[in-house]
Amino acid sequence: MKRRVAPVRVEAAVHPVVVLAAVAAGAGLLTWFAAGRSKPLGHAAGGRSYSPRGREVTASAAQRLNHASTMLAASVLFDSGLEHYRGQFFNRAMYTPIVVSSVILAASLHGAGDTDPGSSRVRHGVQALAGLTGLIGFGFHAYNVGKREGGYSFQNLFYSAPIGAPMALTLAGVLGVIAERVRDADPDEPRLGGLPAGRSLAVATAGMLAGTTLEAGLLHFRGAFQNPAMFVPVTLPPLAAALLVRAATKPEGASQSGAKWGMWAVSAMGVGGVAFHGYGVARMMGGWSNWRQNLIDGPPLPAPPSFSGVALGGLAALELIERSRFRF
Amino acid sequence: MRPRLDLYPGYDVLAKRDGPSWNAKTREVLEERLAIGPETRRFFDEAEWSTMKSLAERIVPQPADRGDPVPVAALVDHKLATDTRDGYRNAEMPGEREAWRLGLRALDAEARARFGARFHELGAWAQDELLKLAEKGDLTGAVWEGMPSKLFFHQRVLADVVKAYYAHPTAWNEIGWGGPASPRGYVRMDFDRRDPWEAAEAKPGREDEAYQENLRVGR
Amino acid sequence: MRIPGLGNAADNPKHATPGDDPEHHPRARDGRAPNVMRIGEWVPMRQHRDEEEVDFAIVGTGAGGGTLACRLAEGGVSVVAFDAGPYFRPLEDFASDESHQSKLYWTDERIVDGENPLQMGSNNSGKAVGGSTVHYAMVALRFRPEWFKTRTLMGYGADWPLDWREMWRYYDQVEDDLKISGPVSYPWGPHRRRYHRRAHEINAAAKVLARGAEAMGINWTPTPLATVSAPHGDAPPCVYRGFCTLGCSTNAKQSVLVSYLPRALKAGAEIRDLAMVGRIETRNGRATGVHYFREGKWRFQRAKNVVVAGYAIETPRLLLNSANQEFPDGLANSSGLVGKNLMVQGNQAVWGVFDEEIRSYKGPPSLAISEHWNYDDKGHGPFVKDFFGGYSYMSQGPLPQLWANTQASAHGLWGEALVSEMQRYNHVAGLKVVSEYMPQERNRVTLADVKDQYGLPVARITYSWCDNDKALNRHALKFMREALSAAGGREVWDQGDDTCHLNGTARMGSGPRTSVVDADCRSWDIPNLYVCDGSVFPTVGGVNPSLTIQAVALRTADRILARRR
Repeated sequence: MKRRVAPVRVEAAVHPVVVLAAVAAGAGLLTWFAAGRSKPLGHAAGGRSYSPRGREVTASAAQRLNHASTMLAASVLFDSGLEHYRGQFFNRAMYTPIVVSSVILAASLHGAGDTDPGSSRVRHGVQALAGLTGLIGFGFHAYNVGKREGGYSFQNLFYSAPIGAPMALTLAGVLGVIAERVRDADPDEPRLGGLPAGRSLAVATAGMLAGTTLEAGLLHFRGAFQNPAMFVPVTLPPLAAALLVRAATKPEGASQSGAKWGMWAVSAMGVGGVAFHGYGVARMMGGWSNWRQNLIDGPPLPAPPSFSGVALGGLAALELIERSRFRF
Repeated sequence: MRPRLDLYPGYDVLAKRDGPSWNAKTREVLEERLAIGPETRRFFDEAEWSTMKSLAERIVPQPADRGDPVPVAALVDHKLATDTRDGYRNAEMPGEREAWRLGLRALDAEARARFGARFHELGAWAQDELLKLAEKGDLTGAVWEGMPSKLFFHQRVLADVVKAYYAHPTAWNEIGWGGPASPRGYVRMDFDRRDPWEAAEAKPGREDEAYQENLRVGR
Repeated sequence: MRIPGLGNAADNPKHATPGDDPEHHPRARDGRAPNVMRIGEWVPMRQHRDEEEVDFAIVGTGAGGGTLACRLAEGGVSVVAFDAGPYFRPLEDFASDESHQSKLYWTDERIVDGENPLQMGSNNSGKAVGGSTVHYAMVALRFRPEWFKTRTLMGYGADWPLDWREMWRYYDQVEDDLKISGPVSYPWGPHRRRYHRRAHEINAAAKVLARGAEAMGINWTPTPLATVSAPHGDAPPCVYRGFCTLGCSTNAKQSVLVSYLPRALKAGAEIRDLAMVGRIETRNGRATGVHYFREGKWRFQRAKNVVVAGYAIETPRLLLNSANQEFPDGLANSSGLVGKNLMVQGNQAVWGVFDEEIRSYKGPPSLAISEHWNYDDKGHGPFVKDFFGGYSYMSQGPLPQLWANTQASAHGLWGEALVSEMQRYNHVAGLKVVSEYMPQERNRVTLADVKDQYGLPVARITYSWCDNDKALNRHALKFMREALSAAGGREVWDQGDDTCHLNGTARMGSGPRTSVVDADCRSWDIPNLYVCDGSVFPTVGGVNPSLTIQAVALRTADRILARRR
């Protein structure tokens, strides 16, 4: 038996994770350029002419929806990156959400800077693709949970592929697609799939908040709600969702300040959640100096902003219902 | 019997010494152990020492080309010198220190009686023959002073020598154990998973991959 | 940064305290005791003079004594708890090293004999403040209700003078105190409250158990463990370092050292480390205090009540060593049962090699369990039960020294055969049983002629299996062999000789002729002398005993306090 000893050669190999990051960034850049140049408000071509106020509202709502999908896409990018790195990309399909969420992140950022009321076909396509990828991922994760020892038990829901996580990608895709649809809609009477855009979007985002709450609830139950703050993401979002549903029943043009504050509260919670999760990482053994373990084993830093993403979608819905552009 | 392999090429658990896998106490303890050289001897006398060294080589043989072999005999000597005990002894056995002295003397005497040479002067085959007799309890000469050679072999020789060898980082490298782990433990616990700070096993034909991975465990 | 009140446990033990040697100099003195959750820090401790007659002198600070000390102190009585071992701060004193951590074991001399001499030390005896819980495997299981009445209901052993429903309430309390991490619903036995932490993620070794159980058509579950899966106060969640049975250096493990004892100190209890109690003094049929050796000399602490909680070897040894003119056969021994009915539990294992990498050194050793054979009294086919009692079995995670020693002692390997077999370490998984052995009077603790470093006669431990024990061993090994093979294990072999845990030797019962203590753990002979540890078990059941010892300790505390009111 001969043991190899002492590393003599200089390592030239690039870490696979670096390659992956480069691929994801490249795909994002490509999407950005493919989506074309943003056009500033007022230079809309196409000969359509609507009342400026309506156009302002739909454009603002569309941008807000792109902010929403940006937030969600970024959350998915980092969360799936972290979780799939933990899973050592054991299945090659695990690279997919990283590339796809980079692409949708680029598309959403692009849209976020685009004040033009018209849609972009590339963005539209990318968002739809992402939505579909999320659904497929959901199927994969559900299959993965079921085949584990113990099947669909709490144990596997806690620790095997998180069943709800890929849906965040679907949410990003759906909100992105809606952004494009809103851009294309009649600004005076925007409709989605034949329904009034604001109301249907409000109900949809309320549903999304409920879904995200379920996911947070499951994982915080895994953490035994050991810190009282862990109850916030399972109580605040459902309240806000209820406000959204109520908003959808109000007459058009009525003030929506209650629901609006609700959405801002959930958005803030999503961002504040990162800080709480950061504190959680510090409470793990070795704290931040043991980051290679604790970033993965501790509470996931990138997860909470998905709440913010959905809440921004809710704000867009409120804008469409109230038919006025919110300054904040 | 399976051949001994270089199953974890390039893996050195000591590469993690200054990382988050080792706490201060662990570094202190291992430093003390690694300071024990192959000739560090406080407990055994000279005659016992040569028998002890040959005995250790039969129980946990080491590759001839290993530059820095595990000082197994010295580690056993250290255990006895510091009087670190198991916490029990069979009623037929004397205390640990006494059992070792008696047993080594008896082995040497049995070697002379059966092969006409001291234990450490015998070849591996003859040494193993003697040890197999002890393992079965068939060494019963008066030199054993009533101590059953079987109990000596199982409870003292095997237990102390084997534990001494596997207390050493070189042995940990050989079996691909992760080594000390605190404050950092492990993340990936499923089948066929390893953390980047664990030993990578060489799969046939992919030894270089494992070698590369193993150079990175200390990062 | 440490935020007060929020319990920042992210202490990184990079810097140990210099010049502080807990193994040779007591730490609990000068009005303070170590803060076990912090490096180099202290907490205030109330102290008593030897001449001061304290309400309770407790000998031992493990699962029984430590838990009892906490509840008694919280009940407002004055308590001094003695431990022969050191007072460790895990963050700074525990190394990740098998050899070094043997400092947690009771390694003073003991003599073993009988047909199946026991192995002592590492796997069943602790010598540290916190007792064996400092190095136990944290498996926190409840007795099956019927086990409290095995004689009446199942036809073997002896009845406990306790009611299972009352015990169920105390189990609830211990599980809450220790924040046991367990499955959302437990597959066996009557309903129990949900565990306070979720079960841990299971490792590959545990998944082997799960696969085997599913193939054999029986239930399995993630094991309820006394190590937190989410933060609790100053304890960070488990990092799966796998050194649990060598002391937890992160404090995730809820040993008595980090759970009940800090509470005890806060409530005003005094703990004396490196204090070996050698004799209990009596006068006019009552205990008056304890003689103990600390800081180089023998001292005498006066006490109104004495509790012995030294675990099933040291407890009878102390009672027997305390023999005097009044009680020539040893204290509390009018029944002659002190030291008798020593019970261990079977700890046989089957091991096999797997194609996949298992790396069972990661995570707590026993992450999955099946209690099927504790609750199935008949069995079927090749697994018909032809014996009394039951067993549970768990996944395993031996570290290299233990594994090599197992290969050498139980598999008979040495030389090239050993070192090459050891290279399959990362591909090995095993199943290990905790089984119920019968109480037998011939299994006992007596005093030997040999003396230890304190000049006290050491314990002689005599142990032999009865036919029922052997039949149980056969059944368990056969079942586990099939389960391990069904899970994909190859070259499966038996480790047939191991045992674990210590119980009996001062059993509780309903009369002074058939038992040593009553249901309240009070000795029949001496009204102010108690025994509170595994020694009081009339039967052991097929689960690890620590949770039951602690539940009994909580009950004992309640009973003592109720009597004082």
